[in-house]
Amino acid sequence: MSTNLQPDRTQGDDQTVPPPPMLPAEPTRWARFKEQASFRNVSGLYIIAIMIAVFWYHEPHTFMTMLSWKLLLDQQAIAAIIAVTVCVPLSAGVIDLAVGTEVGLGTVVVAWLIADKSLSVPLAFALTLVAGAFVGVVITMLVTKARINSFIATLAMSSILLAVISWISGEPIPVAVNGFSTIANGELFGLVYPVYYAAGVSLFIWYALEHTSFGRRVYATGANPEAARLAGIRTSRVILGATITCGVLTGFAGIITASQLSTGDPTISSGFLLPAFAAAFLGSTQFKRGRFNVPGTLVAVALLAIGVEGLQLWGAPVWTPNMFDGVVLLLAVGFAQLQRSPTKRTAAIRRVLRSLRPRDRRAEA
Amino acid sequence: MAEGVASRGTPAGHGDVPGGGSALLRVSDISKTFAGSKALDGVSFDVRGGEVLAVVGQNGSGKSTLVKVLADVHQADPGGHFDVRDPDGEGYVRGDRRDQLHFIHQDLGLIAQLSTTENLDLSRPLGWRDLMPARGRSEHARAQELVARAGARFDVRLPVALLSPAERTIVALARAMNGWRHPNGVLVLDEPTASFHSSESARLFAALRQVAAAGAGVLFISHRLDEIRAIADRVIVLRDGRVVLECPVADADDATLIRAIVGADLDRTTEAASTFGDVRLKATAIQGIRLRGVDLTIAAGEIVGISGVLGSGREELVPMLFGAQRRIAGAVEIDGTPIPSGDVGAAIEAGVGYVPADRSRQGALGQLNVRENLTLAGLKSVQRRLGLIPRRRERAETMRWARAIDLRPMQPERPLAQLSGGNQQKVVLARWLRTDPHVLLLDEPTAGVDVGAKVSIYSLIRDAARRGTAVAVCSSDTAELAELCDRVIVLDAGRAVCELRGSDLTEEAILEASLESTHVSSGART
Repeated sequence: MSTNLQPDRTQGDDQTVPPPPMLPAEPTRWARFKEQASFRNVSGLYIIAIMIAVFWYHEPHTFMTMLSWKLLLDQQAIAAIIAVTVCVPLSAGVIDLAVGTEVGLGTVVVAWLIADKSLSVPLAFALTLVAGAFVGVVITMLVTKARINSFIATLAMSSILLAVISWISGEPIPVAVNGFSTIANGELFGLVYPVYYAAGVSLFIWYALEHTSFGRRVYATGANPEAARLAGIRTSRVILGATITCGVLTGFAGIITASQLSTGDPTISSGFLLPAFAAAFLGSTQFKRGRFNVPGTLVAVALLAIGVEGLQLWGAPVWTPNMFDGVVLLLAVGFAQLQRSPTKRTAAIRRVLRSLRPRDRRAEA
Repeated sequence: MAEGVASRGTPAGHGDVPGGGSALLRVSDISKTFAGSKALDGVSFDVRGGEVLAVVGQNGSGKSTLVKVLADVHQADPGGHFDVRDPDGEGYVRGDRRDQLHFIHQDLGLIAQLSTTENLDLSRPLGWRDLMPARGRSEHARAQELVARAGARFDVRLPVALLSPAERTIVALARAMNGWRHPNGVLVLDEPTASFHSSESARLFAALRQVAAAGAGVLFISHRLDEIRAIADRVIVLRDGRVVLECPVADADDATLIRAIVGADLDRTTEAASTFGDVRLKATAIQGIRLRGVDLTIAAGEIVGISGVLGSGREELVPMLFGAQRRIAGAVEIDGTPIPSGDVGAAIEAGVGYVPADRSRQGALGQLNVRENLTLAGLKSVQRRLGLIPRRRERAETMRWARAIDLRPMQPERPLAQLSGGNQQKVVLARWLRTDPHVLLLDEPTAGVDVGAKVSIYSLIRDAARRGTAVAVCSSDTAELAELCDRVIVLDAGRAVCELRGSDLTEEAILEASLESTHVSSGART
């Protein structure tokens, strides 16, 4: 009787769970390489190569010079730090819309502590990082204890931080202390320090996310918090770790910004959020198929920066950089989406193509 | 016993019935074949105006396939067909058939945040008039009238989330009848009372009676005999896709119905009673929303099944033993260590593994790959200093388990979501087997799993038991419990009403216990 019963159940299931496509059991090394080097996996690298070729051909004297590359690196270091940092909360499933204002807070707090409170640079530095960590703790409380959707919690948080920033100072705070400006403006081997900071932060986050159990827990929490909890992961602790990491590192980015300008500018917050999110989301389409990851994010930062730089050297109108950012993001993410989940329509198209093929062969024969 | 009434003759002379109306829904000789096996085999019946026809049968008897064929989800095999008629015997064409034949599934398809009025309005086709401001008062009055037609009265302005389950079903009922040209349509209700408390059912039944009295035909799918007695005029029993019994409800006693549902064939070979080790899991007086004090002990090496119809509290027990859900009262001890309610960490620490029923929501992490899913529980065993996970070691460990569970395709770096349901389930199971659990709690371990994976899941479970794991299997598949378990407890109305073991443990016995107890306990209540 039991055997008689099974067909109905299993067949019913077959309706909902399609059988897996037949695949070779173990891919060869070449197949794996082809997969990894495929356009859909690393489209960013190919696009960068094409852009460099085009801009080089078109603007050989300005684009392909050491100076312009050095400037590019210097300019993008802080953007890279923020973009890589925001990958951590995003991977844990926390959409942190407050990153921009967290950077702004760091900028103003460090300047205020040094200029107004006359603290020493190292102490001000440390306290600013603590302030960043505190913001992370508050966000975690809102998300895990008060159970507010992270999108809303961090949106509100960002508004509150803006208020705190202008409460501390309505106007730029000049910092004229010896040594403070070297944090961002000192050079080593021809590159400013922030480039090395960005490399260090990227390396740290890459290692933490991909090679430690902390990273594994972060990705698990972001992928399916309920399943992660039932597998014994304390998801609220993981989220706490992620938001604190984000708070500290954005605070650090804020300090660098303040040092770069020797000023705590309360109005700069707004410019950081969108590029960081654009790079993180664009980066999630690279290497890892929809997972936020550091190498992909760095490629995305480079892609957007090179594109904008090249277009500016080309003499494109002022609106092109913004247009470029938006279009590239949409194309890359849309393309990845298309590749990942074949919709009914693309599946239908493939079926039609497959049905055409044998007929072609017969025609040839 | 009226066995073998499989196919009724051509439906020519069925116009006059004691119930009154003529056939509104006529199903003739419908079969449905899946991959060579017949889920439905020549099913024929009529639903007449003014009557409630109950369809009963156990899991896999073809009830749900029948509903899906009627709803045009599945296409019936050539030769069979069904049609919907008006009381004068005129057949409806396809489009109108949609309007006159309406389904109420367990998931009612209501939008919880919207009020009854708004939910009823959703079924109206959109037009330019919808850009005009909604005429609140008249709309509410119309909704109230529709609800009243089902014999109910409640505030139609409240969000439906605030209504009781029965009231929500009545809203769905009202919405179904909203589109009818006249009151002689056909309603198909697929186990509508599964989430009800028993007192609630009466309200729905009153509503259904009223709808039927107005001339509609009702097809009521259920597995509870007491409900069938309360509501239906006639009953059809499905078994293995065939109609094995069709008669007025009053003519069939419970014994006859159960025999028809279960079938009288098959005897289970008795196995020698095995001996088990020490008690590993001890649960006392577990209480939840439905559970009203259930005790359970499982010894090392024992596989204990948990059965019961939907709503018996069966689906609550395993999550509460693990701590995935908080229990209202009761104690759980693992190897003598008490586990606080709702503390997943403590349970895992004590050596408990848990495979949840809802794989996609609670078990599988679809975006992560097989390796990451596999090592997720007990990450500590693969990590080194500072939480580093040596990639090579983790890969080796994963390959070992992938071979043990016969992963297909053998690609541990594939995202889990790209695997079939059966392989996903094997990975989720292996996640816990890897931790060498003392107690393994399995909730619907083979739901949505193909036959091949089912066999390997069973052997994995048996192997674990042989190594001394205490296993609890909660399942709605009675065949599975009979095959896999050493002992099965049957729950009803939140209590364990029956325990089967040894030669008593057969699929029929489990089913009989759950069906009969349902009847008896509700008989005691009324």
